[in-house]
Amino acid sequence: MAMLEVENIHSYYGNIHALKGISLTVEEGEIVTLIGGNGAGKTTTLRSITGILKPRQGHVRLEGEELAPYKPHQIVYKGVAMVPEGRRIFARLSVSENLDMGAYSRNSKSEIKADLERVFELFPRLKERRNQVGGTLSGGEQQMLATGRALMAHPRLLLMDEPSMGLAPVLVESIFEKITEINKEGTTILLVEQNALMALSIANRGYVLQTGEIILHDTAEALRTNEVVRKAYLGIT
Amino acid sequence: MNVRLASREGLLTGFINLCCILLGLTGLAGTMVGGWFHLSSRQPGAWLLLLGIAVWGGVRAVRRVPDPSRNKTLIAGLVAGVMHGLTLAVSLWLISTLLDAGAEVRKWLVQLTPEAIRLLTFGLSPVAAAALMFVVMTTAGLVGALWVRASERYPWQRTLSKGPTTVRTRFLALPAVQNFMQRKHSQQILWGGGLLILLFFPFVLGQYWNYTLGTVGIYVILGLGLNIVVGFAGLLDLGYVAFFAIGAYIVAILTAPAPHGIMMNFWLVVPIGIVLAALAGVLLGIPVLRMRGDYLAIVTLGFGEIIRILSKSDALTDFTGGPRGIRSVGGPGLFGFDVSSEFYFMYIIILGIVLAAYVTLHLQQSRVGRAWMAMREDEDVAQAVGIYTLQYKLLAFATGAALAGFSGVIFASRNKFTGPEDFTLLVSINVLCLVIIGGMGSIPGVVAGALVLKGLPEILRQLADYRMLAFGALLILMMIVRPEGLWPSTRRQMELHERAEQSGEPDAGSSPETGP
Repeated sequence: MAMLEVENIHSYYGNIHALKGISLTVEEGEIVTLIGGNGAGKTTTLRSITGILKPRQGHVRLEGEELAPYKPHQIVYKGVAMVPEGRRIFARLSVSENLDMGAYSRNSKSEIKADLERVFELFPRLKERRNQVGGTLSGGEQQMLATGRALMAHPRLLLMDEPSMGLAPVLVESIFEKITEINKEGTTILLVEQNALMALSIANRGYVLQTGEIILHDTAEALRTNEVVRKAYLGIT
Repeated sequence: MNVRLASREGLLTGFINLCCILLGLTGLAGTMVGGWFHLSSRQPGAWLLLLGIAVWGGVRAVRRVPDPSRNKTLIAGLVAGVMHGLTLAVSLWLISTLLDAGAEVRKWLVQLTPEAIRLLTFGLSPVAAAALMFVVMTTAGLVGALWVRASERYPWQRTLSKGPTTVRTRFLALPAVQNFMQRKHSQQILWGGGLLILLFFPFVLGQYWNYTLGTVGIYVILGLGLNIVVGFAGLLDLGYVAFFAIGAYIVAILTAPAPHGIMMNFWLVVPIGIVLAALAGVLLGIPVLRMRGDYLAIVTLGFGEIIRILSKSDALTDFTGGPRGIRSVGGPGLFGFDVSSEFYFMYIIILGIVLAAYVTLHLQQSRVGRAWMAMREDEDVAQAVGIYTLQYKLLAFATGAALAGFSGVIFASRNKFTGPEDFTLLVSINVLCLVIIGGMGSIPGVVAGALVLKGLPEILRQLADYRMLAFGALLILMMIVRPEGLWPSTRRQMELHERAEQSGEPDAGSSPETGP
């Protein structure tokens, strides 16, 4: 059974038809990427999965279970965590407090502690700065913190919305290495990106989104060589 | 270039000084200083104010000089002084000439009595008085410049703004204090001691101060409630007075002989008032809490007004007493004794504050407090980490409303009266102000804020007509000197200091308010 199954969803902002029948699946252990330009509906797709936006039509299933009846916070308890677009860390809370908030949905102190160790191992920088206020971190560190915060929920499925946004190329590379690492440790990842080249280099499969519709779906390998993708998203002619 | 800036400062402060004269503030200063030092003349005080402002003008002018050498400083001070002096001299000449000519200046400027002018002219002819004024004010500008040079050696301003914090940290670092803090029950001893002192207070204070401080206390409870809503949960509620009114009307309706004659026991009404106010909080909360920020503020503002207008509406006159309100609201009794004097109410209020502070503290440190904190920072993300924001918003609203209801019950019962005009928008604004002035999210801050906001006007009573003017000026000054509040929570203090340290560097990605 697929970890995540999105079937023909239609989502609206008021009267604007933002998603026009999106279907995608993410198998357990995969990194799947969703690429596309501005306004293609990438973030809207993630919002529809996390329940912040309820699709008017179609189904979202997590391991076969319909997510429609659940509220956004309940979906977190089901094992779906999100690294939001633009990081959105709690700027006035310290690094530790941010991570602590990430574990809000959990009760076992020992498990939380183990996960904190895991996050600190993954991002030693956060450990160094754990008493610093989030807003004073650099962009790269904030991205680490946002990722760490999502991991503190111990998700089975991690949704990442444009982790490369506004970061220097060197930092982007290191963040993507970490994404691979997180995936290897057993977390399934759905990655939304504008930086298609980077995303396709670490993903297993990819979906190309355009104005609310999926226009292409293939393995990452195949998409990288696909003529349309190369022209439109990779800037290679 | 500096000359222009300096002269502008001189003109500006000169104008301020002129306003002081026209509004009669110089006369007031004369009366007050004269009163303190038992002087027969009002002149020293009046001139003290004038000179103070002129010196300030000199200081401001020097601050405009980018790299002050000694000469530049003096020139700036001189220029400011000259402009200041010119402004006042010309005005003074004009005013005294007009007065001499018998013009009815007082028709427009009530404070401009011949006596007030004599304070400034020493009875000299208009021209001589103007010349004197010019010379004195120019000198004052120069003094201001010299003052800046002197004060650069001793940075008193920084000491002033950091003072209270420094004193606190120093005190906590004392060996004796450290020793005490490490003892087992130090916290309990401290709280117990504080409570004992509090319980002793009403005996020492007279009826007037028991009443005044009782009002302060009622506002402390209100502030603690609103602090939960605004400070913890980050929901801007401008209609907070509604819950206060609900508490007050419940006790009035249930204990007063008219219009219903239910006349229940006060102690039974307290829980009813609290519960009904909390319920009102939830009922209001369900529809409006989906809104955010400014929209929420406007909707709650409307709700506050609705409750007030309902309470005085014709349709409900039989129920609420209409515009006339409800008289003879019942007071508390204890084993057959009537304990409804200001003195006993002080104890009820102290007890209320302690209870409210206890509840607030516990909520803050619990899981609920963490959820509120996350919500205040970023509502979307709070949801994304598994917080059911609607539920916690309602909880914040209900707790805040319960405390407001409680203080409303006390308020109406203590006044033995309740009416619609007790619950104007001003109450909401006052409570919000005291939370901000004390330091948002800080429990001791609320107490400090209430003391300043409700206590200070009492202390400023000797300023008579100028009381509210001085009060407003003090509030502005306080927010400039200590923007984090009088007694901020450690968190907010941390924020402001971090921000000051990294000033200049644009903090990328730290704008959680800009949601989609």
